Amino acid sequence: MNVPTRQTPSPVPDHVLPRGWLLDRVALYLGRDAETIDPTVPLAEYGMDSVCALSLCGDLEDEFGLVVEPTLLWDHPTVQSLLGFLATELAVADAREER
Amino acid sequence: MQLSRFATFTDLVRARCAEFAGDDVHIQLRDAKDGPEAERLTYGELDRAARRVAGALRAHGVEGRPVLLMYPGSLEFLKAFVGCLYSGAVAVPAPLPDGGVKGRLGRSSAMLRDCKAPVVLTDRASAPDVALWLATEGRDDVVCVASDALGETGEDAWQPPATRPDDLAFLQYTSGSVSEPRGVMVTHRNLMANEAALQRVLGTTADDRFGGWLPLYHDMGLIAHLLHPLWLGSASVMLSPTAFIKRPVRWLQAIDRYGVTIGGGPNFCYDLALRRVTDEQIGRLDLSRWRLALNGAEPVRADTLDAFARRFAAAGLSAEAMYPCYGLAEATLVVSGGVRGEAYLRREADAAALARDVVAPAEPGAESRTLVSSGRVTDFDVRIVDPVGYRELPEGAVGEIWLRGESVAAGYYGKPEESEAAFRAVLQGGEGGFLRTGDLGVLDDGQLYVTGRLKEVVILNGRNVYPQDVEYAVKSLHPALAAGTGAAFSVEAGREQLVLVQEVRGEQLEEAQLRELAQRIQALVGKEFHVPAGNVLLVRPGTVRRTTSGKVQRTLMRREFLAGEVHGEYEVFDPAVRALVRAGDVLLGQGLLQSAGGGGAW
Repeated sequence: MNVPTRQTPSPVPDHVLPRGWLLDRVALYLGRDAETIDPTVPLAEYGMDSVCALSLCGDLEDEFGLVVEPTLLWDHPTVQSLLGFLATELAVADAREER
Repeated sequence: MQLSRFATFTDLVRARCAEFAGDDVHIQLRDAKDGPEAERLTYGELDRAARRVAGALRAHGVEGRPVLLMYPGSLEFLKAFVGCLYSGAVAVPAPLPDGGVKGRLGRSSAMLRDCKAPVVLTDRASAPDVALWLATEGRDDVVCVASDALGETGEDAWQPPATRPDDLAFLQYTSGSVSEPRGVMVTHRNLMANEAALQRVLGTTADDRFGGWLPLYHDMGLIAHLLHPLWLGSASVMLSPTAFIKRPVRWLQAIDRYGVTIGGGPNFCYDLALRRVTDEQIGRLDLSRWRLALNGAEPVRADTLDAFARRFAAAGLSAEAMYPCYGLAEATLVVSGGVRGEAYLRREADAAALARDVVAPAEPGAESRTLVSSGRVTDFDVRIVDPVGYRELPEGAVGEIWLRGESVAAGYYGKPEESEAAFRAVLQGGEGGFLRTGDLGVLDDGQLYVTGRLKEVVILNGRNVYPQDVEYAVKSLHPALAAGTGAAFSVEAGREQLVLVQEVRGEQLEEAQLRELAQRIQALVGKEFHVPAGNVLLVRPGTVRRTTSGKVQRTLMRREFLAGEVHGEYEVFDPAVRALVRAGDVLLGQGLLQSAGGGGAW
């Protein structure tokens, strides 16, 4: 059995983040091409509403085994900030598994 | 005349609880990580829980007074609702308070201010949020009761209330905007009449099982999904709206697993299931027992009905199960529905004629619209009426739908004048006592086709969005917006879409600032009104048309917008709407426009 550590988990490296997957899902719900989505532009500007936001929550939970708040997409309104959130969450989950 | 041995819904529920004490009345599916968890409630347990709630309510002396019901789940809600019946209090189903930036603009706050409920019923988990909300509202005098934390005392001491048929059973706040909330007063007589109408229209028996994902502050959710099974001595199954939207397949899995035979929702939920449920998931579903997939509460689209029936036929769904129907809170719920087991009727109408309120056969080559029949109106006296002169119109003419019958509610709570105008309208010839529905429709060979709305309410994602609420909320974002006038309306571009034209007044704003304002507007509308705000135009002062009395002319604005005559200092469009109103500009080259507008959503 591993000894639990108190270290903050280091963020998951950028290249393993599901950027393409996330852009594809977002594009699907917004009904537009993934290439037309600027990762730094708030998704509401592309017409994101709460149905789209909740749909993505469901996808994230299923894909990564996370439990996220229904407000996630409003707290992290761009693709970029969502990836940042995922980087931290996935690192925490990894650290938990390693124990 | 409705022949029932029960004078009130309370008497009926008590009889059912005694007769079916050991049977399930409700199954709540709680969304958990590894799948839904079922919680069951029997009629006997419901009876005991309702007695406890009634005992607590009596202690607060709320007989005949409104009590807000704010629950995250359906199971505790049902106990509280019956508890209100058992105490003689008037249940007011409400959404949980909105923690968002809308604050006092939220629907729950509007309801509380309007009905002045002295007590809020909720559960233990939500009680802290509800108490905080009451404090924010400055209503520390309102008592917040967690109904799942009541002791078992009082069950035996309970005495039935002296409820009469014309006493209020509950208030339904599905109609009315936040700025002008309207609680429909449903009496026991209304409820009994409409439950009987539901049985006749849908041909229900105690073998039917009901349910779905609709919230219980929605009329179809409350009256068809939750209360009709009580009326029959049957059971309901429910998951939360959030669980449905996160994973639409869970709605269909619940129908399969628990043998739901009747249930549905607005057109949008069928579209969502079509988009999000995979073929592989359909392969594992058995929907053969689902005999009536109700589709109402927003315009019914023939292409949705067709696509859903075609795709889910693989899961055993019969094409005749697709069931368009029409109803509204002011008529308790159901007004009409098709013939069970037969395909619904439709007709192709000429689009240009329809815009002039005439239903004419579609000419070859001309633009047409498919009208879906909402079936026959059997339990009401229905008239199609010229909404200006109140003259009754002949068959085939489009006019406002007026209704008369036992299901027509008593009026709007605390609004006698408005109630008189809406619920006791008089035809030109002198016949009175009609409900003005505000919906436009046509009777054709006895079939009712709903063609549009008289009111400016926008229905998106199954939600009524009131333009004045959106316009008001947007103004709260920035002084430059507050000083200007805004107009919200919807346009048809593939689907119904919201457009906001908002003046920016008082200060010169840079393009980057305008863009940031538009983004904040879009986030506000998307998050607080739950609909996409794909189209925002920030315009110069004086662009938004108003009447001399200052009323925003939304219909005129929509016409100008569709004609491509409204131009903003900053604009962002949904691609389909852009194609509609900027068709000519696209030919000039996008780059040209982008430098003028600079938006990111082209």
